[in-house]
Formats: sequence, C-alpha cells, structure tokens
Amino acid sequence: MAAAPEIIPYSQVRHDLWRPLSGASRRYLAIVSLLSAITLWGLFCWGYQLYEGIGVAGIRRPVFWGFYIVNFVFWIGISHAGTLISAILRLTEAQWRKPVTRAAEAITVFALMIGGMFPIIHLGRAWIFYWLIPYPNSRLLWPNFRSPLLWDLTAISTYLTGSTIYLFLPLIPDVAQLAEHATGLRRKLYRFLSLGWTGSDREWHALERAMKLMAAMILAVAVSVHTVVAWDFSMAIAPMWHSTIFGPYFVVGAIFSGIAALLLVMSIIRKTMHFEKYLTPHHFDNLAKLLLLMSLLWLYFSFAENLTVWYGNEPKEMNVFGVRTRGTFSIYFWTMVFCNFVVPFVLLGVKRLRTIRTSTIAAIAVLIGMWLERYIIVVPTLAVTRLPAVSGGYSPTWVEISITIATFAVMALLYLLFSKLFPIVSVWEFEPHPAPED
Amino acid sequence: MYLKGNFQDRGSAIRALRELQAGGFPAAALDVFSDEPLELPRGVLDRRSHMSLTVVTGAVTLCLLTIGFVYFTQYNYPLTTGGMPIFSFWATGVIFYELTMLGGIVTTLACFLWESGLLRRNRRIPVPVVAPGIISIRVHCREDQSDEAGGCLDRAGASDVGRMGELS
Repeated sequence: MAAAPEIIPYSQVRHDLWRPLSGASRRYLAIVSLLSAITLWGLFCWGYQLYEGIGVAGIRRPVFWGFYIVNFVFWIGISHAGTLISAILRLTEAQWRKPVTRAAEAITVFALMIGGMFPIIHLGRAWIFYWLIPYPNSRLLWPNFRSPLLWDLTAISTYLTGSTIYLFLPLIPDVAQLAEHATGLRRKLYRFLSLGWTGSDREWHALERAMKLMAAMILAVAVSVHTVVAWDFSMAIAPMWHSTIFGPYFVVGAIFSGIAALLLVMSIIRKTMHFEKYLTPHHFDNLAKLLLLMSLLWLYFSFAENLTVWYGNEPKEMNVFGVRTRGTFSIYFWTMVFCNFVVPFVLLGVKRLRTIRTSTIAAIAVLIGMWLERYIIVVPTLAVTRLPAVSGGYSPTWVEISITIATFAVMALLYLLFSKLFPIVSVWEFEPHPAPED
Repeated sequence: MYLKGNFQDRGSAIRALRELQAGGFPAAALDVFSDEPLELPRGVLDRRSHMSLTVVTGAVTLCLLTIGFVYFTQYNYPLTTGGMPIFSFWATGVIFYELTMLGGIVTTLACFLWESGLLRRNRRIPVPVVAPGIISIRVHCREDQSDEAGGCLDRAGASDVGRMGELS
C-alpha cells in the first residue's frame, strides 16, 4: 500500500520556502564572488572585442557564424524550459507542476536575456544595434521587415516581454506576503512589486484569468520563437539548412534542452536549499519521463532530417553530411548522439535506474549534447561551401570561449540572486495538504 | 462604513456571502480576503470579466497597426521596383504574428491591473489583515444596514465581527 502523502502545515511551508531568503552563508558569497569575477572577465573580453574589432573572434570567411550564433540558438532553446513547460502544465492543470513552475519561469527570463545578447555581440559594432528598431530617422530608411533578423528581434522581444510578465504575475501574492515581514530596502522593494496586493477575491480572480490567458498566448509565442530561430537557417539555400522540418526540429530540441536545464536547476535547488519535502522524487520522475519522451522525439527528427539528405544524395548536401558524420565534425556528431539519446535512454528508460541522481546526470549530458547539436548545425554548413575554393575551417579564440563561459556564469549568478530575493517555489500555489496524485 | 468578519473555513464564508446577497447587499459591496485563491460556487459573488474579449481586441488592434506601419514603411522610401509590389504578407507575416501576440500579452497585463483594482484602489478604504488560513469578508454598507450585515456574518459563524474605520 502506498504511504499517505505527508501533510505540511502552511506555516511550515512558508518558513521553509522563505528560509533561503534570509542571510547569506560564506559558501553563497564565495560562489557569487566567483561567478561575478567570471562575468566581469566576460565583459572585459567583450570590451576588448569592441575595441579591437570583430577580428579577435575566430569567425573568418567563409565561416561567418561561430560560437556566438551557436550560443544564441542554445540559450534561446534553454529559454523554452520555463514558460513553455509551465504553460503546458498550467493549462492541463497538472497538480505536480506547482513547486516547479517558478524555477522554470525564471530560467526562461534569464536565458532569453543572455540569448538575446548574442546577436548584438555577434554584430561586432554593437553600438549600432538600434538600427534594427523601426523609428523615423534622417536616412529615410526603415529596417527591412522581410529579413529574418527583424523576425528575430520581434519574436524575442515579444517572448521576453511575455515571459517577464508571466513570471511576475504569480509572484505578486508572494511578494505581498513578504512585504509584511521584511524590513528595510527589501520591504520597499517587495511593497513596490506587490502593487498594493490585498488578497481580495477580485485580485485572485483577475490573477487566475490573466494567468490562463497568458499561458495560452505564451505557448503560441514560445513555439514561434524557436521556429523563427530555425528559419534564420532554413530560409538560406545552404546545404543541410534549407529544410522544411527545421522549425519543428528546433522546437523539439529547444523543449528537450529546456527540460534538461530545469531538471539540473531543480536538482541544485533541492540540494542547496534543502527543499527535499517540496521537490520530491515524484517531480523528478515526471520530468525525467518528459525528458525521455523528448529524447525519443529528438532522435526521430534527427533521423528524419539526416535520412532524407542521405537518400537524396545531392552532392553538396552530402559533402556537409560527410564532414558531420565521418569527417572533421564526426566526433561532435557522435558525442551528440551519445549524450542526447544513449545516456537518457539508458538512465531514464530503465525504471530501476531512474533516480534523482541519474536524472541529473542525463540532464547534464543532454545540455552538452544540445550545445554540440547547435554547433554542428551552424559550423559545418558554412565550412563546406558550394565552391570548394572557398572552403575553410573554424576554431574559436579565447575571446569567444571566455564570453561563452561567462554566459553560463551570468545565468548562475542571476539565478542565485533571484533565489535570494524571491521564493523559488511559489508559496501561495503550494498546497499545504498535498493532493493524492502528489 | 465597512464591516468585517473572519471565517475559519470556506463553507461558512460561502454561507455568509449567500445570506448577505439574499439580504440585498450587492456583489459590488462585498469583498473576500484570503491568502490563497478561494473557489466560490457559481451564483456566489460572480464577478463579471471582459478580459478575454479585451485581450482579443488588443491583439487585433496591434496587428492592424503593425500591418499599417509595415505597409507605410515599405512604400515610404522611393524605391524603384519597376511597378512590382514590395509589400509582402508572406515575408512580413512573422512580424504581424509576433506583434499580435504582444498586443494580447500587454492587454492581458492591463486588464489584470484594471480588473483586480490594484492601480485604482482607494487607499482610504480599510483592508482587513488576513492571517494564514483565515477568510475575511468585508461589507460596504450604510449605518442603518450595519446590524443586518453584522447579523448575516454572525449567523454564518464569523468571528471578530466589527466595524472598520476609514483611513485618513
């Protein structure tokens, strides 16, 4: 017989979930300092690139897209962790979502902020990025609305706006409660963010209605964002980019890496904040099953994409296919297959092996595999062009590697600061008396 | 004047609301305060909402404005095309779609702020302090109705029934 779920009193829930907000241990400060140092180093590298010019990066003719675009696609994919997963679970009224949603929504906002920076870094002359924004100007020229670059701008701006609102709305009741107990600057911040929330039925009803509408819209936006990112590639008549399934293929990959990121973050939160009672093996098991499902879907799309190229046997396509699977890039390709399929399939497919630890290992493997996938989509096509005379290679410089590492540090840093300011598990949404399915 | 009563459980709060509404107190005069969302049965304190319709209107409005703007900008520069059209729905469809959604999202936020009353709350109206797990009902009534309102709250099992002073 299954054990009855533990009933946690509301006061205990609040105490446990608010505990990480107060004080800062030495370990916390040391990690924040380290991450800040890496972030500063990344900023220095970007400054160096701005000063010296884009030549300090490894992108050379004909490989004009390198680490920056790989990172852009990767982080936009990670951003699908939160809003999309949270919206699906909210719309389907899955009870187990409640401790998971805020952690996921925060990933979305931070990953989008980071991902959205890369096209600007990649521009080289970052200070004129605003030329993308339509405004009446003295040159009488407007941005080209037919360009996928402008599609990206509108899609990412919409997604970032929507995700921020989607994160903020359910935060209001929590910050209103925190405002009553906090002091000093924190109290001012919470009071400002709570917008004068009183907990009246009008406010609750408006919040619930708004969240339902937001969930529906954010789903549509999330799918479109990664489709648009995929179209950046597939609109070009380049070997192994010009594909009709790139949109859904990218969306599947994005959700896949998003779930992996969420699993990893939840695992860290559970361990460091001692949320064992709130982030239970049940949550990890559900997410692990979702990760396994997405792994199989990813395999299906990858197989369909590669099989049609191989069967078509078009010479230029086969050149790229060859370097990907048997040539220079094959090590990355097969590592990707191992990380994205073999590891999750073995660790999560066998029920006895599916634990929090193995789910975390699988999640890390998937994140590595998905970054590699973005790399082998972007670089080989550019390196093996239609004209053999202009073929070339790509090796990232220390500037690109540093900026890449720094973005991971920024992500961790933003998350650490966020979890110190706001409860990472929604207090008001948490059921003091768990439902039977929990 | 404002009266309030506290309830330990949802059932008695619903009873009080039903009795107050039967006693002639309109929904606009009643407010329920709780630290978590309170599900009320249909017919009890139904709040009308136009959020869905307004959101659709906001989305369509921004979509039309975007189409107009893109159309204007495509023809704004005197580009010689030899009579060929330069405005393409196919190529600009993504932008229309994204901004339609942006219109919906921003309107949702605006509707939430309006319907919840957060940004138009009269700070002089007293708000009961709600302890965790407690449901508080606030009744806006005239002096001569206070006994009747208080009676409704009492009969439903309210504790701490009392008058709330307006804040200066």
